[in-house]
Amino acid sequence: MVEINEELTLKVGHLARLALSEHEVKTFTAQLGMILKYVEQLQEVNVDGVEPMTHPYIDRADLAAPLRKDEAKPFPRDENGKPKVLLHAPEVLFDGFKVPPIL
Amino acid sequence: MLPRNLNEKLSTEKFRTIREIHDAFDKKLLSPVELTRDYLAAAQASETGAYLLLCEERAMEQAKAADQVLAREGKVPRDRLPLLGIPLGIKDNLTMDGVRTTCGSKMLENYIPPYTATCVERLEKAGAVSLGKLSMDEFAMGGSNENSAFGPVKHPTHPDRVPGGSSGGSASAVGAGLCVGSLGSDTGGSIRLPASYCGVVGVKPTYGRISRYGLVAFASSLDQVGPLTRTVEDAALLMDVMSGFDPMDSTTVPMPATRSFQALQKPADLKGLRVGIPKEYFIGGLEPDVEKAIQTSLRWLESQGAKLVPISLPHTQYAVAIYYIVAVSEASSNLARFDGVRFGVRPKDITEVKDLTGFYEAVRNGFGAEVKRRIILGTFALSSGYAEAYYKRACQVRRQTKQDFDLAFQDVDVIVGPVSPTTAFKLGEKASDPLRMYLNDIFTIPANLVGLPSMSVPCGVDSKGLPIGFHLMTPLFQEDRMFSVGQAVFQGLGGGSGYGLAQGSNVGRL
Repeated sequence: MVEINEELTLKVGHLARLALSEHEVKTFTAQLGMILKYVEQLQEVNVDGVEPMTHPYIDRADLAAPLRKDEAKPFPRDENGKPKVLLHAPEVLFDGFKVPPIL
Repeated sequence: MLPRNLNEKLSTEKFRTIREIHDAFDKKLLSPVELTRDYLAAAQASETGAYLLLCEERAMEQAKAADQVLAREGKVPRDRLPLLGIPLGIKDNLTMDGVRTTCGSKMLENYIPPYTATCVERLEKAGAVSLGKLSMDEFAMGGSNENSAFGPVKHPTHPDRVPGGSSGGSASAVGAGLCVGSLGSDTGGSIRLPASYCGVVGVKPTYGRISRYGLVAFASSLDQVGPLTRTVEDAALLMDVMSGFDPMDSTTVPMPATRSFQALQKPADLKGLRVGIPKEYFIGGLEPDVEKAIQTSLRWLESQGAKLVPISLPHTQYAVAIYYIVAVSEASSNLARFDGVRFGVRPKDITEVKDLTGFYEAVRNGFGAEVKRRIILGTFALSSGYAEAYYKRACQVRRQTKQDFDLAFQDVDVIVGPVSPTTAFKLGEKASDPLRMYLNDIFTIPANLVGLPSMSVPCGVDSKGLPIGFHLMTPLFQEDRMFSVGQAVFQGLGGGSGYGLAQGSNVGRL
């Protein structure tokens, strides 16, 4: 069984880009420990030869959505020609979302 | 608001169902504008906290347009506009073009979507009026609507109690008479549980029936949009209007819309109906009043000629464990998009942020505790070294759960039981214990794991007057049968008076 400790919580938090406070690290570690202990019961099930089912219709080709034509559609714009998706963007630069430097 | 005789009932109370409202429109006893105005007034005066936002101007425009259609046609054109002038509430994780959508989170407190969800669009094309956005647990994560960043929602008749969640606003609004019906979303029981607690009808369709385009994703293989209403018939009508293949959502099934409303016009023949009772659902742990109400409902079904068949769903005990690995894993992926680039509230002082990672972390601090907890759990379950033991294994037992149902449905037509082990609990009672909250979902989760259509129908109240929901599941795509049996139970147990709670009925009352 996995031993969840504060170091692991912080590490996983970083993977998820969540900066946790000291209080959060303590509380979450304790709560996650309880939850992981609860889900541990899945280890006792015999799953030999059982294919994982990630989706209700994973084996149902008859329920797969038909492929659609690869057609470009005009980008929705408002009456001033501004792309609607940028209308309420946090920060806009030219026709894009402005972000802090990556490098 | 217009002055009125205080003894006069609001139109929201006089005409309760779609059928009654349309008859009243036809007979000129009521106009769409009056009805919408009364619902907006009721919503404004309410202390439930169900609505996060009311779209007064927009709703009145829609109501006026409905008035004009009526003036032109003389009567409601039920074939073309089956929801003409019907005021509905929309859960705040469904987008509406130009209308703020928060998902109950500070992360999206200023987010205004540039498009409308397909399900909402279809309802509005059918003539419905969207009154406003309903409160919910943050990003649909919760079972009590105590996880909204904008304050808890209260139970419609017992204000010291929770309405259930995550569609708490949706259920409370219908239960408190603040809309004719509402939309909710259900990932592990988030429509059915609050419907059960609030004494209203709540439906989760077969996976892929209703488009998720415009539904902010929590767990993509589990999420479904569904209606909450006062009656089964109204839920069937909303289902019919919303369902059907949508090219904008590749997980919708290539089938036309349901025709469940039509199917309901023929009364159900319960003689010989094989009703499956899973033995794993009755091993104790149900509140005594809940057990009694469910048993009374089963006896009633028997009295109508149904055959009660004991069945076994051996993997029932693992349902919550599977869900709290699969759902949180999918959530950790779906919520990765909230990074402040396109959505998310950015830190006011950007100079404090070192780099993009620091930026992401600052923005993602806008998530509440339950959301952070689930993202961490999901990230862990999918991470290198653990994915096989956790995520893969959960998916394997998920398949075994499906196999349980495939086998059971060879012998029965419908599987029933309680929606929840308890009735609505007090605000704050379970807030500090996440695991205790999770265990409420044991009866509702399997339908999401397998994709089955399911519903909660009010079947009585406990000694405190708190509603109890009866849960039904039918095989994939058998909504007609589910609605038919649900309607029979609803009418037979006294809910047929047109309002959710089985008022005036002795059945289930203790």
